[in-house]
Amino acid sequence: MGPEASAATPPFPMPAGSAPILEVSEVAVGYGGVRAVDGVSLGISPGEVLGVIGPNGAGKSSLLGAIGGQVRASRGRVQLGDRDVTRMMPHQRARLGLMRTFQTTSEFSRMTVFENLVTSAEGNSGASLAAVVLHPHRTAVREREVAERAWSVLERFEMTHTADLYGRELSGGQRRLVEIMRCLMREPRVLLLDEPMVGVAPHLTGKLIDDLRGVAREGLGILIVEHALEVVHRLCDRVVVMAFGKVIAAGAFEEVVKDPQVQSAYLS
Amino acid sequence: MSGQLIASIADGVVLAAILAVAAMGFTLQFSLTNVLNLSFGSVMTVGAFVAYLIAVVHLTPWLGIALGGVAGAVTTVVLGRGVLRLYARRRTQLFEMMMVTLGLSLIIDYTVQAISHNNIYGYSVLQGSALEMGPIRVTPVQVGIVILALVVLLATWGALKFTRMGKALRATAVEPGLARACGIPTGRVVLVTWVASGFLCGLAGVVFVISTQSVDYTTGEGFLPLVIAAAILGGVGNLWGAVGASLVMGIVTEVVAGLGQGGYSTVAGFAILVVVLLLRPGAVFGGSEDRQLVL
Amino acid sequence: MSAWSFYIGTLLIYFAVDALSAISLNLQFGYAGVVNFGYIVFQAAGAYAAAVVVLGKSAGPGSFQQYVFGAHLPFPLDLVVATLAGALLSLAVGLFSLRRMRRDYQAAMLLIVSLIALQVVSADVPLFNGANGLTGVGWPLGQIFGLSAPASPWVYAAWAVGITIVVYVGVVWLSRSPWGRSLRAMRDHEDAASAMGLNITALRLQVFVIGGAIAGLSGGLLVEYIGAWSPGAWGYAETFVVFTAIFVGGVGNYKGVLLGTLLVPIIFLELPRFLPSIGYPGLTDSLQWVAIGLAWMLCLLFRPRGIIPERRARARRLAATVLEPSPIKEGA
Repeated sequence: MGPEASAATPPFPMPAGSAPILEVSEVAVGYGGVRAVDGVSLGISPGEVLGVIGPNGAGKSSLLGAIGGQVRASRGRVQLGDRDVTRMMPHQRARLGLMRTFQTTSEFSRMTVFENLVTSAEGNSGASLAAVVLHPHRTAVREREVAERAWSVLERFEMTHTADLYGRELSGGQRRLVEIMRCLMREPRVLLLDEPMVGVAPHLTGKLIDDLRGVAREGLGILIVEHALEVVHRLCDRVVVMAFGKVIAAGAFEEVVKDPQVQSAYLS
Repeated sequence: MSGQLIASIADGVVLAAILAVAAMGFTLQFSLTNVLNLSFGSVMTVGAFVAYLIAVVHLTPWLGIALGGVAGAVTTVVLGRGVLRLYARRRTQLFEMMMVTLGLSLIIDYTVQAISHNNIYGYSVLQGSALEMGPIRVTPVQVGIVILALVVLLATWGALKFTRMGKALRATAVEPGLARACGIPTGRVVLVTWVASGFLCGLAGVVFVISTQSVDYTTGEGFLPLVIAAAILGGVGNLWGAVGASLVMGIVTEVVAGLGQGGYSTVAGFAILVVVLLLRPGAVFGGSEDRQLVL
Repeated sequence: MSAWSFYIGTLLIYFAVDALSAISLNLQFGYAGVVNFGYIVFQAAGAYAAAVVVLGKSAGPGSFQQYVFGAHLPFPLDLVVATLAGALLSLAVGLFSLRRMRRDYQAAMLLIVSLIALQVVSADVPLFNGANGLTGVGWPLGQIFGLSAPASPWVYAAWAVGITIVVYVGVVWLSRSPWGRSLRAMRDHEDAASAMGLNITALRLQVFVIGGAIAGLSGGLLVEYIGAWSPGAWGYAETFVVFTAIFVGGVGNYKGVLLGTLLVPIIFLELPRFLPSIGYPGLTDSLQWVAIGLAWMLCLLFRPRGIIPERRARARRLAATVLEPSPIKEGA
């Protein structure tokens, strides 16, 4: 934490002035002999939307995995607020408010949308067998709260009509929305989105962008991996460009795309 | 005591030789198709019974060995080409494919049980008088088994390394999509793999019952845990790894048996796998679920 | 007592035991997606455990049967021990086999456990009398009232069905609880479930141990009725009878699973006794196993949802007592 830590090399991904809610320093991920992510550092402040772009195989999804805990970082540190989460399991990170979506949609296919949401809620008593068995009354109260919250999230995204549909019965875009709604069931502090616009009907992307901006305004940090550059342009405050596992540029979208290094990375 | 130990180790090498033949077949098949084939043990049983039938009609046991291998190859091709493809066409996932092979295993095992009247048959061929070297007591057939395993190892290794088909196989195992795009006839590669691994499987079945001198419908099923353990421990697709792991498992199994704990000998072999798993899960189970079914 | 009455009573007991197995496997497989190919081992553990605490002190080597421990425990300790045996063995096996690894490896590990356990118990005579198995196991509860299990199958059936009903109600309640919902999330997408804050390892182990406890209990119930238990009773294939029953009845639906239990292990495996026997003795048994294998393969090929498929949990029902009626009506 503090200005010293945020001065980790390379320094450019850090926004000036605000304490980061998520701080990634020098993270590396290797599969066998391949370095998928090679010493990436970045930070996100509350309310900020950071885009991660780069050509295929640049290591973007692996980076997301290392932050979310699905992939083990061989080196470096991931810090959420003032907690070091580098060695934590994914569910522990989630309970601290680090939520994510997946590149291939990960809806619970044989559960209704409503159940999808409820399962992911903060205070979902289903996470603990002991709570369910020993405190049935408390569980019922929790369930009520959680159901109310699920309903309000559904209303916010105008998805109440899908409440009783199974995950597998949804369209691609609806699945993306379910994933995002699921994340919002737990007041997240950081949201990691892996290509959230894939499969979303073009006329709906605008709305989704507005929704995500609205979510960010509530004070959480969003890190988004996205291929569609116009989406990144409209959605993100800052952009980080990755190639071959490294950050090659960072800054405002307009500046970054003019960077000759970035252009050559995309062309190669 | 030490004499006893040396004798156990010698027995272990013989067991390892049998195990290696099976494990090579298993690892070859598994690395290419990514199907964890639980019917492998049943196919071993089929090979063993064919060899037994050859002995019943008083033909030379050598023919039994050869035809046992052929029976394994034919059965495996029928299962792989006929049954597994049928399931692959219905977009059966990798995991369900393993359940399919389990069903096949049930069907084969109990068909054999029905045909064999659920009896245990003695199968005593090629046993010569034992040679004694200090504490070690080996029969000529045991020496033969070890030599056979070495020949199989060298032949398989050579085929993989130097022939066109071997190279195509290795390429397909690593990147099936890319291999197909490069014009490798992956269908033929898979067929050849079914034939070769099936032959090794049947051969291992015969060699196993030559060594135990009896055959019944559970023969292969009892041996299967060691085969899977050796193939996984050696690293899937790694020929020398499979042989090395077989050696470790074979020796440990026989040493434990030599201590008078025959019932626990397989447990000891399996325990090695479990310990390695617990200590270094990544080393053994490096692959993830995004492997593709190749049929 | 007529032979028929005895036979029907016995079938009812088998149904209760198989229903317990199916309930246990459905919780593990249908809800949690844990594929327990070694299920029968945990039932066997319960059966052996119950047997040795009922049989009394072993007479040791040389007598007609020998086994470890040996005691005369009164009811209900016999069944408690059986249940614990299933649970503890599940815990031990689960700790190494349910680690984060490919699901096919996991399932293969459990099958291997099943194969090896059979070899060990068959070979290690001092443990549970080897391949000959244990015999002469009594029924501690019945002894209190001066009853013996084979003499009063209907009493025993009532007792076994009673236990099954209690377990059924308990497991259905658990499955419909928020915890059961978490299990289904894990089954549908493990990575997502863990990214939503669910501790996958704990959930998997919990469901494995609960299932193992039920398996142990079912083993105890079975052995106290038939009075004997040997490796012949728990070959690896036995597990797949229960799996097939679940597939036929409906994965994820307990009513369907009970129906499947009635159809596969009871009607399908018992009816052929009334057909004229063919071939040598034992041929019918072999062919039945082949048929089970075929049924299993067909289930995988056509992926039927079963006779009574899994039911959709509607938000209306889920939240019926929870929310004001207005938004629900609007959404449903």
